[in-house]
Amino acid sequence: MIEYLIDGPLWYFSLAVFCIGVLWQLASIVFARSKTDLSVARGSATGGAWRNVFSRFVPHHEIAPQIRVQVVAGYMFHLGLFALLFFAAPHILFLEENLLGFGWTPMPHWAFIVASQFAFLGLIILWLRRMLNSVSRLISTLDDHIAAILTFIVMLTGCLALLKGFTELRLLHRFTVELLLIYFPFSCLMHTFTFIPSRAFSGAWFGRRGIDA
Amino acid sequence: MVHLLQRHFSHCFTRPASIILLLLSLILPQLSSASVPQKHEGFPQGVSTINPGSELWREVRQRDLAVTGISQVKGVETGVLINSWGDQWARFRIENPVKYAPMVLGAVFLVLVLFYVMRGKVGIEGGLSGRMVKRFTDYERIVHWTLAIVFLFLAITGLILLLGRPLLIPLFGKEFFSLLASASKEGHNLFGPIFLVSLLMMLFSFVRRNIYEKGDLTWLLKGGGFIGDGHVSGGFFNMGEKTWYWIVILIGLAISISGLILVSPNFGQGRVVMEISHVVHVFGAIILTAVSIGHMFMGSIGTEGSLEGMKSGYVDINWVEAHHDRWAKECHENEQVISAEEYARLQGNKPDTAMEKGA
Repeated sequence: MIEYLIDGPLWYFSLAVFCIGVLWQLASIVFARSKTDLSVARGSATGGAWRNVFSRFVPHHEIAPQIRVQVVAGYMFHLGLFALLFFAAPHILFLEENLLGFGWTPMPHWAFIVASQFAFLGLIILWLRRMLNSVSRLISTLDDHIAAILTFIVMLTGCLALLKGFTELRLLHRFTVELLLIYFPFSCLMHTFTFIPSRAFSGAWFGRRGIDA
Repeated sequence: MVHLLQRHFSHCFTRPASIILLLLSLILPQLSSASVPQKHEGFPQGVSTINPGSELWREVRQRDLAVTGISQVKGVETGVLINSWGDQWARFRIENPVKYAPMVLGAVFLVLVLFYVMRGKVGIEGGLSGRMVKRFTDYERIVHWTLAIVFLFLAITGLILLLGRPLLIPLFGKEFFSLLASASKEGHNLFGPIFLVSLLMMLFSFVRRNIYEKGDLTWLLKGGGFIGDGHVSGGFFNMGEKTWYWIVILIGLAISISGLILVSPNFGQGRVVMEISHVVHVFGAIILTAVSIGHMFMGSIGTEGSLEGMKSGYVDINWVEAHHDRWAKECHENEQVISAEEYARLQGNKPDTAMEKGA
């Protein structure tokens, strides 16, 4: 019964909530009304947008020493998670069989293990910094903590089910994934889709005003 | 002539004897089976045969010659027909760690409970003042808690694997335990290298202040203040903290290296290396877990004001004077002590909240 629920209705429900929620949020940003900028352009908005999208991958030299830990841990976590999500053999097989109908070459098992270790270490460090740095702690919301803990649980249940010998462990992983999919559109996890448009928007604004930021 | 007589005589004698022997051979088994009670009545009597190979294998195991032969298969120890040492190791592995781990961990737990009941929390003379000193940076606390989280995960999964069979199967059954053991094994193997990385971060962050110096021996001779009434002098880290640090680093490295040998069996290491690694790994982990229980106790409910150092990075100046007087002197000389209001501002709290927390 639980297996049927998790593999069937709950999976389709969570997927629908995720897709509709994400599209709704993106549409609300795209169609949001903003004031028309009447000032004379001092520079290229498009150039500023592109510049900002890429320049923000590297921290500004003035603040780099203060945020070195979170930059390194941030890259470890995000690159590790990206590799796990899209290049782990079980995930590719799942996407091929259940969603896409085609697959691609997975990364080798050792790379999968290393990627997951990077992701785990990065996430632990990032969450601890959020808790231990007084400024980060003050500006963090409940949503930030739920998102971090839920992501950690999804990764943990996935790693515990690596042996693929127990249906219960696979179901536990899939159930936590479904919870994450439902939570995703209403949380800070939306930055997965908004970080590029956000950078581009700010960069265009800076570029038009001739601000070198 | 004599020869013929002898032959005739023996022929006359042996014929009746052979008849008698034949009769006895038929009757005696019946008599013996009737007189001796059957131990397993109702069970079919199988044919008792000795395994023809057992003698051969016993010879192979107990021979005095070189134990390595020649084989067409090329690989690690492929020339070894039987590894006799493996039996001893298997018995040792099954019997000893499973027996000693609960004893050691239970004893540590009992000692701490007794200590807490008899002595209570180690307080500070005059109580906490609310005036604080910066003890650890954000990075140092992140390193400490990363290592702590990963270690706890490894300790729990390791204990499930070590003690699960005798302790958890009677409670939850074999099916649930096999699921739990599988999950624990995967998690344990995956988090092991993360522990090593955290340990190296710990090594490089704290090593400079954990080198033994003059005055540390006095701390040891006075049992960290538990022996006698006199005050025990200490620097930024006292002798006990330094010793704990080196236990974590050295035993942690031993556990990590032996764990990597165990988790990667395809790098050419032989059985003996794997077996020794297993023993080092298990006993190192038991010792580290036992001592870490003491550390967790002393760093939280056992000593007043200690946990604050790893939570906010600041400690009360009275706590510093009580446990690290040499460092306290430096703090006063360098004017590093901040007021309760300043501490509250840095933590983003109202001053009275900070005082309550400090108290």
